[in-house]
Amino acid sequence: MLNYNLKLALISFKRAPSLYFLVILTLSIGVGLLCANLALVSSMASDPIPEKSEKLFHISMNTWPNDQPNEEPFHILRYRDAMKITESDIPKHSAVFYESGVYARDAESTNLKRFDSKVRATTPGFFALTNAPIAYGSAFSKSSGMEVVIGHELNNKIFAGENSVGKVLELDGELLMIVGVLKPWHLRPLFYHATEGRAFNLTDDIFVPLETAIDLGWSIHARSSSTVSYKGVKFTRDRNVFYLQAWAELENQNKVTAFQQYLDNYSQSLKDAGEHPLDIRNELSNVNDWLLENDIVDQKVLAFTLASVLFLCVCIFNASSLLLSRFHAAKFEVGLRRAIGASNRDMLLQGMTESILLGLFAGIASLLLAWLFLKLSSEFLPDLANLAVLEPKLLLVGILLSLFTAISSALYPLYRANRYTISAELK
Amino acid sequence: MNLKALIKSLMLRKFTTGLLILQLAITLGLLVNSAILALDTREKLSLSVGIDLDNILIVSTHPTSGNYRDLDYFRSIATEDLAKLSQLPGVNSVSISNHLPVSHRGMMSNVFDLDNPEQERTDKYLKDVNYILAEENLASSMGFTLIEGRFLNKSDQLDFGSDTKRNMVITESLKNTLYGDSSALGQETNNGFIVGVIKDVILDPSNPRDKQYGVFVNTIMEYIFVGRYYILNVEPGHMASVRSKAADTILAVQAERDIFDVFTMADRLKDYYRDDQGLADLFILLCGLMILVTAISSYAYSQFHIARQKKYIGIRRALGARKIDILLYVLTENWLVYTLGCILGIAVALGFNILLSQHISLSKPDLGLFLVAVSIVFISGTLATWFPANKTSKVPPVIATKTV
Repeated sequence: MLNYNLKLALISFKRAPSLYFLVILTLSIGVGLLCANLALVSSMASDPIPEKSEKLFHISMNTWPNDQPNEEPFHILRYRDAMKITESDIPKHSAVFYESGVYARDAESTNLKRFDSKVRATTPGFFALTNAPIAYGSAFSKSSGMEVVIGHELNNKIFAGENSVGKVLELDGELLMIVGVLKPWHLRPLFYHATEGRAFNLTDDIFVPLETAIDLGWSIHARSSSTVSYKGVKFTRDRNVFYLQAWAELENQNKVTAFQQYLDNYSQSLKDAGEHPLDIRNELSNVNDWLLENDIVDQKVLAFTLASVLFLCVCIFNASSLLLSRFHAAKFEVGLRRAIGASNRDMLLQGMTESILLGLFAGIASLLLAWLFLKLSSEFLPDLANLAVLEPKLLLVGILLSLFTAISSALYPLYRANRYTISAELK
Repeated sequence: MNLKALIKSLMLRKFTTGLLILQLAITLGLLVNSAILALDTREKLSLSVGIDLDNILIVSTHPTSGNYRDLDYFRSIATEDLAKLSQLPGVNSVSISNHLPVSHRGMMSNVFDLDNPEQERTDKYLKDVNYILAEENLASSMGFTLIEGRFLNKSDQLDFGSDTKRNMVITESLKNTLYGDSSALGQETNNGFIVGVIKDVILDPSNPRDKQYGVFVNTIMEYIFVGRYYILNVEPGHMASVRSKAADTILAVQAERDIFDVFTMADRLKDYYRDDQGLADLFILLCGLMILVTAISSYAYSQFHIARQKKYIGIRRALGARKIDILLYVLTENWLVYTLGCILGIAVALGFNILLSQHISLSKPDLGLFLVAVSIVFISGTLATWFPANKTSKVPPVIATKTV
């Protein structure tokens, strides 16, 4: 029966190829466009580290030294506050870091070309906290020392992807040894630096111990704020310069409470010393809350997604009226088949087979178009380039959406076709 | 023309007519809002920045070698860069700075008059004033207009490391906020003494026009490591040649530099609104697709119904209706559908506008725009109806009524 229905569907397609082409075209444009947008939105709203996003907390404090704070509480910390966090043994891991940038080359190479590299100057807890995947060697274990861990991309650029552990990099004139190389590491969103519109940047090229970067004076490439003037990051340790972001891994609610208490006690001790003019407000936000707080989902993409939902409706309406005219044209055939004994149910089944087949064709076309639209949107909105990825689940969504749209646009035409009276059609 | 009969005939096929009306309404709603987005973006791009955008060229660069950590070396190279760039034919003036107009944030400082520290509390923009490291040629390179006093000169550059209070130049809106109508010259702020006031330029387009606060100090040579931008004022007509030579001129002085970009301030403005432009373009693209789909629909709709009405058309023709009557009849029927679609479209356009404005900022729809969109829908719809209608009206009555 299925074979027979499929055969009939194919015959019907062959009979009116241009009409079915138009139906498939409109449905796949509509679904493809929506799919491309859903891919962007789902990338933006996804959980970058599902295995422990509930246990990782961003730390904001309210230690601004006068009564004119930028924000309350502040997401960047000064060195002395951040060190208090690394001293605590309540978190399983903690990470304190800032973003910088240097130019890198293989110190032994004769090639003088240097690569612009994004740097994360961090305490060693960063790697375990973020589950950074290590391909060769290991993470560094101290906050100081002339050692670095490099990312997959940079390793490809400088060392053609080989195991480069033990090699020496020249970074802004300083020699640092590679102790670890990461595997390809895609974090969407980049939860550990979700501020300043950087949530969709790539992971860093170079990871360097925090104290080393401060000693070398590697400048701060993200938001910093201070109440005093200072001549570079070297001089920030004992000043009111706010630039470090801090994260802690707290395994259960007890630890969260204990750590909150620890921070509050610290703030209280500052207050007692007259150094904490603002209210005590230390905030721990887990990964998903933190991403939500930072409004990282691009509102422009959301707006365009709304428009593409409307557009899909129009496409369904269009396919529906096209199919109606097709079924109307095939009236005689329908009447004939009814007359020689096909039941209403048979006719319905046959129509459904046709629209499911139609949906599958449209699904395949829509995936191609979705890919095309994604390329196009990252052309129009270049910030989205790192996000424009069609994940497997989106492929499935695309096919299902196509099936749904194909069936729903065939519903009314089918209903109409089955109400034609046999006698009238055969007259 | 019998309107009642028309409506009656439309009611006979309310499903397809309803679909078409809905589709038209949505198309219209999208068209109107896309046009609003495009117009908004055009307005943003026509922003008057206060400088001659087309004749200011920027080179953004950063050294790649560790040698530049010796700031005296860095300064000597930068000085030579400036000298070489100013020798290019067609270059009027060259300067270096850490910051460009038409930016968001950048280096900031709070500013208040020393006699009136409370000012900062009443105007939040005084907490985040653009703090621009400059040197004496920035005014001529950017083409700033002086309102009072003078721009920075060589003597404003203090000994490196000096803690002496600096001389500074401020923008007009900052002066108005701090001192109202009286002169700002010689006044002392937390950042130093005011020696000049320049006419406002748009430093940050996201701030209100009267909050373009900026402070210029002659310290770029001291903090040369943040001197990322060379600013070239170019004689009109020489832009192309200067632009093609700028990067090589710098690299010829010393090659270990990364040249990120060479662009005019006009490019800068475009780049600032790149995302708005991108979104508007995406919407226009969607409109194109939508019109295509709607045209297919209207075509299918009239094709289908005209085919069904062939018989009646034949009878009418047999009873003496001319071709033009038939054509008019079919078109009127479609125009009626379009009119209903457009009325519903007003509601959709307004609703969609409200929905969108929860995510992005856009203006309210106006009547003129709506009329343009309506006429586009009418014209494309009429064209899509014309062909099947024309074909049917040519059918001889004898054929059309054959089955009776």
